[in-house]
Amino acid sequence: MKYNRFFEKANELGIEALELSIVKSNKLSFGFFKNEISSYSIADSYKLSARGIYNGKLGYATSEKIDESTVDYILNHIKENASLSTSEDKPFIFPGSDRYHKKNVFNKVLEATPASEKVALIKALDAKISSLDSRISDVETEYEEETEEYILLNSFGLKLVSKQNYAVVVASAVATDEQGQTKNGFEVKILTDLSELDQEAFAKKVVDQTIVQFGSGPCASSKYKCVFNPKTTSALLSFFIHSMSSEEVQKKTSLLAGKLNQQVCSKKITITESPLLKNVFFRYFDDEGVATYNKTLIRNGVLQTYLYNLTTANKDGVQTTGNGYKGGSGIGIRAINVAIKPGKVSEEEMLNKVGNGVYITSLSGLHSGMNAQSGNFSLIAQGFMIRDGKLAEPLSLITVAGNLFDVFNNVAVVANNNELQTNSYSVPSIFVKSIQVSGK
Amino acid sequence: MISKKLALEVLNLATSTGADFAEIYLEENNSSAIMLDNCKVESCQDSLTYGAGIRLLKGLQSVYGYTNDISKKGLKKLALSLSASFNEERCVEVKEISKVRVPKKHHPRIKYSDYKKEDLIKMLSEASEECLKYDSRIVRCRASFSCNYKDVEIFNSEGKQFNDVRSRGRAYIIAIAAKAGAIETSGVGPGAQKGVEFFLEDVDLKKEAREVAKAAVTMLDAKECPSGKMPVIIGNGFGGVIFHEACGHSLEATSVSKGLSVFSNKKGEKIASDIVSAVDDATIEGAWGSGNIDDEGNPTQRNLLIKNGILNSYLVDNFNGRRMGEKGNGATRRESYKYEPTSRMSNTFILPGKSTPEEIIAATEFGLYAKSMGGGSVNPATGEFNFAVNEGYIVENGKISYPVKGATLIGSGKEVLLHIDMVGNDLLRAQGMCGSSSGSIPADVGQPTIRVSEITVGGRGGAIK
Repeated sequence: MKYNRFFEKANELGIEALELSIVKSNKLSFGFFKNEISSYSIADSYKLSARGIYNGKLGYATSEKIDESTVDYILNHIKENASLSTSEDKPFIFPGSDRYHKKNVFNKVLEATPASEKVALIKALDAKISSLDSRISDVETEYEEETEEYILLNSFGLKLVSKQNYAVVVASAVATDEQGQTKNGFEVKILTDLSELDQEAFAKKVVDQTIVQFGSGPCASSKYKCVFNPKTTSALLSFFIHSMSSEEVQKKTSLLAGKLNQQVCSKKITITESPLLKNVFFRYFDDEGVATYNKTLIRNGVLQTYLYNLTTANKDGVQTTGNGYKGGSGIGIRAINVAIKPGKVSEEEMLNKVGNGVYITSLSGLHSGMNAQSGNFSLIAQGFMIRDGKLAEPLSLITVAGNLFDVFNNVAVVANNNELQTNSYSVPSIFVKSIQVSGK
Repeated sequence: MISKKLALEVLNLATSTGADFAEIYLEENNSSAIMLDNCKVESCQDSLTYGAGIRLLKGLQSVYGYTNDISKKGLKKLALSLSASFNEERCVEVKEISKVRVPKKHHPRIKYSDYKKEDLIKMLSEASEECLKYDSRIVRCRASFSCNYKDVEIFNSEGKQFNDVRSRGRAYIIAIAAKAGAIETSGVGPGAQKGVEFFLEDVDLKKEAREVAKAAVTMLDAKECPSGKMPVIIGNGFGGVIFHEACGHSLEATSVSKGLSVFSNKKGEKIASDIVSAVDDATIEGAWGSGNIDDEGNPTQRNLLIKNGILNSYLVDNFNGRRMGEKGNGATRRESYKYEPTSRMSNTFILPGKSTPEEIIAATEFGLYAKSMGGGSVNPATGEFNFAVNEGYIVENGKISYPVKGATLIGSGKEVLLHIDMVGNDLLRAQGMCGSSSGSIPADVGQPTIRVSEITVGGRGGAIK
């Protein structure tokens, strides 16, 4: 595809600035059920997304169909859609940053490894999970690998290219005991290299979390001291980060509005964003073509910055923070490789400090049970009682309810057990002074 | 989109290594989206998705692939790579392809492409104004509109060709109310498999906008919901989301066939209280989740899932049907060519009963009236669910007493079905997007007002006394 034609034609049509983003992707995925391969899928796809400024407004169009009609399809729709816009936001197509911190994160070995080897690896994992406990009645495992090439071009001559690949392994287990009780668990691991999959440990993790739930039930309804494990802390944190979006702040739908340089959570909490960290989530430019950089978002509980893209930064008269990523329509705001700075104590020591309370390992229904704006939540949870500083009986069918901002304000201790989560966050367990639990 | 000759060639290449079934699914989908924020048009977008998916089946194995390159070269390359998964003698050969006539029941009278975007924007803008002026505490109104026109073509190794066109449009209005330290949101999203006539004749968007504004403001002043076990009255329309999530998904062959559903091997058994009957009906004219044919080409059906409490039918696709010894019943769906199709819901709802909603409230001494539900999630293995109540009220002595916020309903689908003790006569369907293994697809949920004798309610207002 000759992209020059887009820019030439855009010029003829009076489109003031044009940006093209092209994503080419290859995927391989397969799944096992009862240790037999049950699905296998391969794909290659191409998508061209374009934004253009016409009469000072932005218009959008995307196409997966590439032929002689594509240039006209894209540009005519950009013109039409820009003409309809009444947005007061100043639109930007970005000429480029002074410096980009590009790193090579593409793993040729992963791509070159034959599919048959990957199938064998997952088959072995699948068998391993089944073999670890006789109560495991069903196992499903899946492998998905994607190679993505991303090109960002614009009429200022900016050209940015990134190529990344990764694999995701998902395993779920169902266990049934003699009384016919059913429990399930699942585990996800993102890999940049197949060697990162420790089969034993991964299989054990899936089985342990499933089996341990037998005999679980609700605890008495009450307020408890509470530890959120890394997985659940990360889920809560993603809503907190959402409130730091300048878009939400400017539209008056964030409770962090007007809180810059103020204490917004416990002094124990320091939060950073590191898009340049060399891992599977690495990004050296955002979707507006702005160079990303590592930064501190919250230092000892004090809010250091909101997250900006070019448009929202212009509104507040500040520089963009390079957090402009596509979402829904247009450019939204996202943070990558967010981390809570690890504390000084191990999780074990943290449990000792808690003494008696609850330990939460799973929160369901976040998309509905959490009000992203007010931070009020009421979520079904699983976990364990903490008794005398040790994990005790398993809990299920309980709800934890509270307010997100209260939770982060009431963090008493941050542990040092950071784990990278599938949403790119690296977080430890946190000890929250009090939370309402409904059970029996 | 491709010739019969090419389809024949690709199907025969795909089945050359022993697959017993092959299928090519092609689509061209033109969609438009408009987003308004406080009456300002923030973005307008047009998208064209275009591509083909090829599926091969051999016994209980399936292989799937997709590409945007639907040229002869592109399709043959994909068919060849997929066929490499098998290594046996050919067992099917396609001699000729004949087109199956598909009656088009869900056709737009006024196509969106023939209607000015300016007029759609005007409609959204007027609704937004109604919302914003409802109360000074409404600080923001987001309104959006999306429509699409999808052309689908399916060829399979049984020598059949199917064509279908699907035109849908949906508006969405979100009201955000705020006062010091509190923000509440409420939304509504009417849509149909119709043309512009849906918005001109069937739905009053301004009225919908006022109602979401009212709900958001009401919740702003609501007390926190108390927690504990109590009777719960679930409102009609979107209240059916619980049935959809906690029961409907468990009736899909995807999980039933593998024995992973709580309802596996339960056909003919009592799974709900006697007053509960439920259907999945993809034949309702112009409904959001309807279709002329499913994504395997089977004609759609009205499937009676539960009859007077007895499990009557599952939702079956041809592939998972192989494990179950059943044929597909018109319930195979996918988001796009990027997804392998599987059994899914269309318009799924509990059938109406005899009580009026007023009678149900009057018969309740103490409980929660969950007038409007939010989303939720379900653990497919255990059937345990968790749903947010968007707009809730405490019922005392047979009367609606006061609004409560932050309520969550927790339980298991199996138990709730058995504990439905009153079914209203006010059946209503509501539109949603249903996400599962074959992507995100339009689906109606629905029910009349129902009462469940006991559900665990989670909330921050302390335990009930």
